[in-house]
Amino acid sequence: MLADQFFLIAHEDRNGRSRLHSRATSLGLAAGLMGELILLGRVRIFDGELSVVSRDPPGDPLAHNVLDLLIAQPQHRDVRVWLAYLAQEASEKVGERLLRAGAVETVVRRRLMSSQTLYMPMNADQRNAAAWARVRLANLLVRQGELDIEDRMLAGLMFATGLTRYVLWDLPVHRPGLEYLHIVVNSLPADLRELIEHTQTSVGSVLSAGRR
Amino acid sequence: MARPDAAGPDIVSRSLASNRLGVPSVVFFGVAGAAPLTVILGAVTTIYAVIGSTAVPLSYVVAAAILSMFTVGFVAMSRHIVNSGAFYSYISHGLGRIPGVSAAFVALPAYSMMQIGLFGLFGVVASNLFQTAGYHVSWFACALVGWALVSVLGLLWVDLSGRVLAVLLVCEITLVLIYDGVMIAHPAGGSVGYGMLNPANMLSPQAAAMLVVAITGFVGFEATVVLSEEARDPKRTIARATHWAVIIPGLLCGTSAWAMAVAAGQANIVPEAKAQKTNLVFTLVAPHVPTILLHIGYALFLTSVFAALLAFHAAVARYQFALGREGILPLAWGRTQPRTGAPLLGSLTQSVLALAVLAAYSRTHADPLVYLFAWLTVIGGLGVLILMWSASAAVVAFFARNRGRENAWRAWIAPGAAFLLLTGVLAATVVGLGDMLQVAPHSPFRWLIPPAYAAVAVLGLCWGAITRVRRPQVYAAIGRGAGGNVTPPPIPWQRREPQPEPRLEPQPEPHSEPISARGFWG
Repeated sequence: MLADQFFLIAHEDRNGRSRLHSRATSLGLAAGLMGELILLGRVRIFDGELSVVSRDPPGDPLAHNVLDLLIAQPQHRDVRVWLAYLAQEASEKVGERLLRAGAVETVVRRRLMSSQTLYMPMNADQRNAAAWARVRLANLLVRQGELDIEDRMLAGLMFATGLTRYVLWDLPVHRPGLEYLHIVVNSLPADLRELIEHTQTSVGSVLSAGRR
Repeated sequence: MARPDAAGPDIVSRSLASNRLGVPSVVFFGVAGAAPLTVILGAVTTIYAVIGSTAVPLSYVVAAAILSMFTVGFVAMSRHIVNSGAFYSYISHGLGRIPGVSAAFVALPAYSMMQIGLFGLFGVVASNLFQTAGYHVSWFACALVGWALVSVLGLLWVDLSGRVLAVLLVCEITLVLIYDGVMIAHPAGGSVGYGMLNPANMLSPQAAAMLVVAITGFVGFEATVVLSEEARDPKRTIARATHWAVIIPGLLCGTSAWAMAVAAGQANIVPEAKAQKTNLVFTLVAPHVPTILLHIGYALFLTSVFAALLAFHAAVARYQFALGREGILPLAWGRTQPRTGAPLLGSLTQSVLALAVLAAYSRTHADPLVYLFAWLTVIGGLGVLILMWSASAAVVAFFARNRGRENAWRAWIAPGAAFLLLTGVLAATVVGLGDMLQVAPHSPFRWLIPPAYAAVAVLGLCWGAITRVRRPQVYAAIGRGAGGNVTPPPIPWQRREPQPEPRLEPQPEPHSEPISARGFWG
């Protein structure tokens, strides 16, 4: 799913560290979760506000969980509020989903005062799958072929959070991908484009505030 | 959007609030740039020495009053626009995008010079510290060490924010209060004089011009609005914190300046300041406090200047980052070190500039305290004053176009008064700048600075106009943060090819409708 793919691209497959500022990654994951609900036709975004258009529970427990929350808190409609809220736990939630899918394993890293649970690919298969997520997206963009809507959204989130340079890192080879990215993002429906826009703004303001 | 049908507890607000900043944290962030000990021990004594006026205590109080007035409208407007980070975005919302670019062009050298000037103070203070310990180290060597530290920490994006800064600030403020108490308890000639607090002192034209120096002591308070999305209650937290960030330094600096004059004697304060320079306060309190308090004072002075250096460095880098992200500066400036979020190129640019200026001063053997610290901070301060003045005009213009969004006090009365007051201060500064810099009557520096800013501003206007014609997409997003343009920025080598339809509807100019009228919580 969208947020899973983003998670795999946004973390280094070798050591599980976030490639971006941790808050930027979280916002990207939150946008991924919201994007999943839009792709599933449960939620729409218009003019910065979310609205639930269908209460049918999605098959995926995490998507179901998020949708329930959106239904339970009707007083909040602002996309950026929801991005900020979902970003708080997005890494753990999506990490757990990947764990259930067998794509990652948990590693507890102890620090001086605290411990941190990382979700990272451990065996060769998992690593290959994680590295493939990034290479696949790069290939799709460079080849300039048809992308399905989920991949187009993934490319948009990659752009909004600043991951582009990790996906399209080899400039001479990947230059066509950079050019195509422009067209791919523009071809998205208005809801998703708006979601990308809000993600980008949120990432920008989080980075300029400079807090952890 | 608070809807009446909210059922049950508000999970979202509660959860978000627990992770957000309260008033004290925001105040600390705002006062960090205007580190009070730096201003009191560095700036106040230098003003006494260089300008030789005794209206210093009052000038801080009056500056605080003017800035409080300004803050009312400024914070009110910050609720209605996105990207409320910097003055130029207010100006682009209030007065139009082209003046906004012009303001950005003024802001870059102004903040940059203020930071570089602080290196002079840092070098001198550190060099004095070594001297008392018996070593001779030149100010330049000390400044270089400070420069290296700031450059590295700037690249790593290590803010002395949070707890470290809070502890330092609380220590500083406590120390200042103790020193003030000691100085007032031991007045020269045996009696405390209130003569300096006579408001009539402020009526001289020199005193009006001195306000620009006082205002430099507050710079940084405007940065609080950057945190509006990090604050617990963006409406109230930021407004209160910004007011505190103006009032605390104002009272502290005013009181300390007065206490210095009380302890030295009103007639003696100027010659004393000329002789002792940044040591003035320490020599005044030395006979009456245990030595340990003096040592703590020296140490805190150094850390305070360093914190201010770091805060300004971050501010300059952040400014260039914001401009790069929006496409006013080359896009490379809008990139960050992905993991830390450090604006790399902005940070590097400022470090290189600072090194060049420091090297130039070292070669010419100019007095670092007068020609580096005092000059650059005053000249930079003039730039910031120009920005504040245009921002206050922008607030008035913004609320004139968007009636009924705030009450009359916030939308009209306070911003209008602030605009008039700042106009007066700016005019007096432009006239009196030569005297403040203490330059010879025929020196070009007497008249050169304001035209230089004007030239930079005109350059900005031209760049804004060029952007409007050549890159309408970038132009539409000026002052809106990077979120305004969802399409990836045009790739330079691809520009000749037909671009896909821009996603942004061209906004009417001047933009009459609010950009984001929505409050953060709703």
